[in-house]
Amino acid sequence: MRPIRADIHIHSVLSPCGSLDMSPAAIISKAIEKGLEMIAISDHNSTLNCNLAVELGKEAGLSVLRGAEVTTAEEVHCLTIFPDENTASAFQKFLNEKIQHIKNVPGKFGYQLVLDRDENIIDEVEYFLPAALTASIDEVEKKVHSLGGLFIPAHIDRPAFSLYSQLGFMPSDLAADAVEVTGKLPEIKFPVIRNSDSHIIDQVGRRYTTYMLNEPTFSELAMAFRSENGRSVISVTP
Amino acid sequence: MKVIDLVNELDLQVFSGKEGLDNEVSCGYTSDLLSDVMGHAEAGSIWVTIQTHKNVMAIASLKDMPAVIITSGERPGEETVEQSNNENIPVLGTTMRSFEVSGKIYNILAKK
Repeated sequence: MRPIRADIHIHSVLSPCGSLDMSPAAIISKAIEKGLEMIAISDHNSTLNCNLAVELGKEAGLSVLRGAEVTTAEEVHCLTIFPDENTASAFQKFLNEKIQHIKNVPGKFGYQLVLDRDENIIDEVEYFLPAALTASIDEVEKKVHSLGGLFIPAHIDRPAFSLYSQLGFMPSDLAADAVEVTGKLPEIKFPVIRNSDSHIIDQVGRRYTTYMLNEPTFSELAMAFRSENGRSVISVTP
Repeated sequence: MKVIDLVNELDLQVFSGKEGLDNEVSCGYTSDLLSDVMGHAEAGSIWVTIQTHKNVMAIASLKDMPAVIITSGERPGEETVEQSNNENIPVLGTTMRSFEVSGKIYNILAKK
């Protein structure tokens, strides 16, 4: 086992707020340059650029996980990470059912692009992806766990779209696998992690978490959150 | 003014917490950010929101609120209802938007 650096909150060009240079290929080469061994692509309420990123990551020698940053009905942002293509695609179906179809205005909010490996635009999502789902935080948590995924309230200490801003305090029975924090580390019963929440390429790797793992994979990460078999969250960047 | 007076006047649905319908309403607070309500709502405020999460009840109790009105036809979750009954803080409902019901409550309270 060894320390492995991972940044599991990165937006691609599929997020309207993700800059146009956030292609999966560019994210992967930046992540490798920054010494990361594992990343996740987590666009707002969508997994549609994940498969390409996983494929390109494999070729480049970087472990890429499939994820999404979900906006719950309460407008709490939650990171969701999935074990494989099937579960991510099942979650995509859930997202398609629960998303509100509010038209995106690319000139105002930004483009929402799905790319192929040659960086051709193969699809543009027409409804505004970051809008709140009609599913509550508890419903999202249950769906993610029913698929064997990881459920991580995102940037819980931020003044907007966070668990604390929207819900005031941590619900005592919330079944989170970990929590993501931007600022000061809280005293909390969950593993605390930091990620870059990158929207532009130079942000990749600006914050990350170091885990003790055998290898950079989903199942090892899940074990680290449960402190199983010597796997653990070692440290986070300031 | 009592919660029941507003229920009658504004034709609000009573989801739960019937024991608290005689709670006294002295003012109101309209917000969907629970952190904001925790920080700024005064005791005695009837709370107008579209949030239905059970944390609403914990905050209503913490801030000594007489009742919560859920707007836009949203409905409270099971656990919210349960806590409302335990705390005797009614959860009320209306299809009105928060703006409209808040305006009406403001006028009613201003006349008192």
